[in-house]
Amino acid sequence: MLNYASNLIKLARNDRHLNPGVAIYYVTTQCNLNCAYCEDFGARRNDHAEPPLHLDQAMKILRVIRSGVDALFITGGEPFLHPDIDELLTRAKQELKFREITLITNGFLLAKHDAALSFVDRLIVSLDSLNAESWSQTIGVPQASAESIHTNIRNYAARQKEFGYQMMVNAVLSPETLPDAEALLEFCIENHLLISFSPQAVNNWVRHELIVSSEYKAFIEKLIAYKKRGAPIAGSMAYLQTLINFQPYDCYPTLAPRIMPNGDLTYPCRPFEKANNGQGGRPVNLLNVKTWDEAWSKAHAAYRQPPRTCHSCFQQCYIEPSLMQTQPLTFLYEYLRYPASRKGNLKTYAAG
Amino acid sequence: MPPDELSRQSDVLIIGGGMAGLSAALHLAERGLKPLVLEADPRFLGGRLAGSEEVEVKGWHFRLEHGVHGIWSQYRNLQSMLARHHLRPVFTPSQEELWIYRDSYNTRKAAVGSAIRYSIFPAPLHYIQLFLRPRFWRTIDLRDISRMFHVWSLLIMSVGIDPFGEDQPMEGLTLGDSVKNWTPAIRAFFIGLARNGFSTHAEEIPLSGFLAFLRFYTILRRDAWAFSYLPEDGGTSVIEPLANKVRELGGEIRLGEKVNRLEGGPTWKAYCGEETFSANQIILAVDASAASFLIKNSFGENDLYFPRSLANAIVRLWFDRTPKPGPESGMFTGDFVMHNFFWLDRIYAPYRKWNKATGGSAIEVHIYGPQEILQRADAALLAQVITEFYQVYPELRGHLIHQHIQRNAATHTLPSLGSKERHLGIETPWANLFCAGDWVRDPMPSFFLERACATGIKAANAVLKSRGLDEWSLVDYLPPEPFVGWIEKLMITGRKRRVAKRNSQKQFRK
Repeated sequence: MLNYASNLIKLARNDRHLNPGVAIYYVTTQCNLNCAYCEDFGARRNDHAEPPLHLDQAMKILRVIRSGVDALFITGGEPFLHPDIDELLTRAKQELKFREITLITNGFLLAKHDAALSFVDRLIVSLDSLNAESWSQTIGVPQASAESIHTNIRNYAARQKEFGYQMMVNAVLSPETLPDAEALLEFCIENHLLISFSPQAVNNWVRHELIVSSEYKAFIEKLIAYKKRGAPIAGSMAYLQTLINFQPYDCYPTLAPRIMPNGDLTYPCRPFEKANNGQGGRPVNLLNVKTWDEAWSKAHAAYRQPPRTCHSCFQQCYIEPSLMQTQPLTFLYEYLRYPASRKGNLKTYAAG
Repeated sequence: MPPDELSRQSDVLIIGGGMAGLSAALHLAERGLKPLVLEADPRFLGGRLAGSEEVEVKGWHFRLEHGVHGIWSQYRNLQSMLARHHLRPVFTPSQEELWIYRDSYNTRKAAVGSAIRYSIFPAPLHYIQLFLRPRFWRTIDLRDISRMFHVWSLLIMSVGIDPFGEDQPMEGLTLGDSVKNWTPAIRAFFIGLARNGFSTHAEEIPLSGFLAFLRFYTILRRDAWAFSYLPEDGGTSVIEPLANKVRELGGEIRLGEKVNRLEGGPTWKAYCGEETFSANQIILAVDASAASFLIKNSFGENDLYFPRSLANAIVRLWFDRTPKPGPESGMFTGDFVMHNFFWLDRIYAPYRKWNKATGGSAIEVHIYGPQEILQRADAALLAQVITEFYQVYPELRGHLIHQHIQRNAATHTLPSLGSKERHLGIETPWANLFCAGDWVRDPMPSFFLERACATGIKAANAVLKSRGLDEWSLVDYLPPEPFVGWIEKLMITGRKRRVAKRNSQKQFRK
């Protein structure tokens, strides 16, 4: 809350270098699925994946993060492919005392990691369709594997109370998965899961077939109606509204900085860092600094103010925190107006 | 040699390798056709978005182009087309635009861009935010405030009249007529905005075009004013990758092929020097003046309306140090020959790299006229720009290391609307000849690059339709914000009702 207020003051002073509310650590870029829509890592890029760091070094990175940020997202690739992931999660919670740890996984290896799950506060699983036959083609695995992911998700949804985490499904909407999206929503309601939807991005822009699709628009409008009635749909109304027409939004990417497996801090956002055209990059490695503040000010010195409204990517992980930070009144109104949807609201955005 | 040996037959012939022609070619090639694109320029594809030769500054090479372009948030078909093929570069978002205003007494600066796009007031009231900025107050005086209703009436007019969509050419009316009685500073601000949009003086800007411009770029949505720059020159970052994609999909592109005459018939023929190209369908995707010449030369058609094409001059200056921090771009109004500026080292990657390595900076200045200024000799024009420039940025005096002036031919469209019978649309009076480009008549609200791209797609659709192939869906433009949408609806229905009432009264009198 203090961070939120101090960011509001920064905004009033036209300072766009906002402090993060959450840090996202990619423990590995290795993946065991090959999702058609994935533009980042995925199995087909495994040859180029950086080897995961040794546990001690990974812990050093988390320690630096903890000195400035208390909410952590662990993602990948597939984080369960990191050899020491259980130990890392355990120590992150017990030793470093992160207030909130979110794990983003594809759920394939979920059954082998019970040991770590009680240290996870939120478990986000990627699931785009319940139709194993078509979905297995989307994610590039045999049908049996897709079915086993479905089984894992059902099982671990039932064990939410036992482990003490809140489970959320993150679904990518594409022309292929759109017909099954409503069934997926029902599945989540039945299994007491939160669900968040992100439209498929191609080249940092919404996939053309979606942007011209009336079915897609109708589906998002339906989602808004469901959410008003209290369906467990994550993401704010403002975010869902943005998804109807994809209007530009005021982006503050430094609210959710990303750290690569080797400790490189990307600044100000992944698309700029990847473009490597001087607007962003990897200005500092967390293994070479003592505190988060040191890394953060080095990054700021290297690239100065991050830009806003690049109307570039429509990634939920950038839209949602940016909207939340820049439109406090909208969010307050939403919070008061739709009490039923509070469960799927504040701080529940998914990182891609 | 018999003419047949020089004759080439292709599926579809596209004349003009700019944004319109390449967009059409891409969409046809994606449906399996083999379009042939003919570009008149012998070296560079892309028309107004083309890259050009390099200039060397102290061992560093910078590629030139027609001029810096904005990719606006409403350029949705353009962005969607590029993204679909992974050709959409990571842009440089615009941060702020500076208004530099000079009257006979002094020079004043006010940052205006972000106030408009991030205004707390809903459209069409978002310009009120400017008055919350103390620097803006310093650029205006009491006279401006007392006559502000003139401004509001023009803004409201643009909300209530959609010249392109409702087919309102408003022939004979210009922006100059509308702002005649305005006060100096506000008049300068609007004329500056208009000149930046239209590259010419208010007296020459058709009112229909200006109202449509306001609607598309600013008055209906705050975020319509949000835009980005390309990461480097248009040729490198967009046109050349796009042309490669067209070739990859089976299209052919030929440079240095200037078509002089077309001949209709069961198959169309395009005469190009000694060569003849034939095809069942032709898409004419050249700029307005070239289209006007070609149509006149081919069909002797003198009565058609073509929007005017404008020339301009671009001055680029390199310095060995950077100026004081400030916005990356802006406009000059009042007593200046230059009309806008872009700090290239804050926009383009190669210049940014140079700035990091050497600490230097570079600026691009556009001069849109009038004709007598553009007719001045290079040295005279450069000298005047540099003198004026130092008055605004005195800290750079004595740090100039290179200067370059470029004259752009009259190819830039002055957006306007002619009557339905005289202004060519995508479909033309000649069967199987289609037009594409930002000068083409169409109810779409868009302008320039986006209009070129969207009319290119529509022309491709016309060809696809005639061949029974699947057409492409176009991306909708963002709708007006709710409040302004409500005003627009009220005004348009009110106007319709009034017209209906007047008509019924006339009938009654009869």
